[in-house]
Amino acid sequence: MKQTLAIARRELFAYFSTAVGYVVLALFLLMSGLLFALTVLHTGVEATMRPFFDLSFFLLLFIAPAISMRLISEEMRLGTIESLMTCPVSDAQVVIGKWLGAVAFFLAMLAPTLLYPLVLEWYSSPDYGSIFAGYAGLVCIGALYLALGTLASSIWPSQVLAYLVAVFFWLLFVGLTSWLPRYLGDPWSAILFRMSIEQRYGNDFAKGVIDTSTIIYFLSGIVLFLTAAVKIVESRRWR
Amino acid sequence: MIVIDHLTKCYGSFRAVADVSLSVPKGQVLGLLGPNGAGKTTIIRVMTGYLPPTVGSASVDGFDSVTQSSEVRRRLGYLPESNPLYGEMRVIEYLHFRGRLFGLARQARDAAVERVIERCWLREMRRRQIGRLSKGYRQRVGLAAAMLHNPPVLVLDEPTSGLDPIQIRETRHLIRELAGDHTMILSSHILPEVEVTCDRIVIIARGAIRADGTVEQLRRKGGDAPRYVLEVRPGGEGPAVRQAISALPGVAAVTEAARDGWMRFEITAASGAADLRESLGALVGDRRLPCRELHRESGSLEQLFVRITSEAEAA
Repeated sequence: MKQTLAIARRELFAYFSTAVGYVVLALFLLMSGLLFALTVLHTGVEATMRPFFDLSFFLLLFIAPAISMRLISEEMRLGTIESLMTCPVSDAQVVIGKWLGAVAFFLAMLAPTLLYPLVLEWYSSPDYGSIFAGYAGLVCIGALYLALGTLASSIWPSQVLAYLVAVFFWLLFVGLTSWLPRYLGDPWSAILFRMSIEQRYGNDFAKGVIDTSTIIYFLSGIVLFLTAAVKIVESRRWR
Repeated sequence: MIVIDHLTKCYGSFRAVADVSLSVPKGQVLGLLGPNGAGKTTIIRVMTGYLPPTVGSASVDGFDSVTQSSEVRRRLGYLPESNPLYGEMRVIEYLHFRGRLFGLARQARDAAVERVIERCWLREMRRRQIGRLSKGYRQRVGLAAAMLHNPPVLVLDEPTSGLDPIQIRETRHLIRELAGDHTMILSSHILPEVEVTCDRIVIIARGAIRADGTVEQLRRKGGDAPRYVLEVRPGGEGPAVRQAISALPGVAAVTEAARDGWMRFEITAASGAADLRESLGALVGDRRLPCRELHRESGSLEQLFVRITSEAEAA
């Protein structure tokens, strides 16, 4: 556990000591600030963060892979993976530690957006329950995106490739589960809709509902991707 | 302390290491010497548990490098070949990070970091970003990280590659200093490096051990028979002196070169001949020749190394 946290901590600091970290951070805050100002901050509009949460879902499709792309590819490219893997740490500790570091950076990136509800508070009385649920949803989505990003980064030593594959995967996934079912009959559309992140997020979190099945949905996705990443890292040694 | 047992490692169809067995007792400094691509790094990577062997096994202090990998890693300090480091970290941050990975608690970690900073002359550089350090300092950081958890075994893969001559001297000095209380494996393709730092040398070429012994043993084996150099001023007696030298027992061949009235004889001894210096000296004394040089050149390791590696290439 200590080793996992040590790796997570190093990852987090690495984001704040490289340009990429700040660029991603600035880009996200700029875009989400614009979203907030353009969609929420109008007179006569309901005091809700709903539009912000809905659009953040898409924004993160592109932002999260930029956070995760360097995690393992960078180690492979620099060769630091060799000194890391000859320390008494397991492959799982390395993968989980790196993912945790990315999640921590993601949380740090979200933190400044907590100002938005405060702005709303200034003008009206927002519903904090749904705001809380909305943030919980963003954290779940971010953690899931980053888990896949970690997997992509463990497969390709090129960061660009790791980024593109992760973005492409999510676009495909969203297309298959949120758009395709509209054209299919039951039972396929029902099954695919159950797998849709957008449905889970839009119908649960953004409305202020936190459903256990949704939590399990995200958790199992994260576990699946991280386990695959551990297997990939392990398999590297046998080639 | 370290036992490598019939190790074979293949990358796909390429056999990088073929049936290598090696055992290193506690406290020994072993030099793995071989040309680039001989399989040194592969042997080291299997030993450190980074790569699994295809056939055979490696163990450190009785722990198997595959099945008890984390026990092995705890006992090893490893400096990989290219000395990969995180450029964005400060020296002290990196060392603390390594300390955490080895599970050192706060106080022990502080003490360990101070100890290696002192030992690797990193005091002025402790707050510096690793990416901005010179290659020599980066190498010291790599060494410091390898020694941090005070492992009984140190494995250094090409520890002086890319350093300038002064840095090479410092690094060798440090290695010699560490040799006292560590079992050490040092790989290099530079002969003088292992010659000055190691108790024992193993020459590897094309994935197999070609020679194994102390510097002295190998030198003897390297052993083209010793050569002697004698420089005298024979006056008009040049041919006679030459003949007298050739007639000495144990002399196999003589060549000479004349310059400014001095003659320089290079005498090759027959294999197994006794030391020729005494009889050469007597010869010079008997004839009362002015003499300005007489010495013996032992067969050099370099010759052995070149011979072994070129034989391996040809095979």
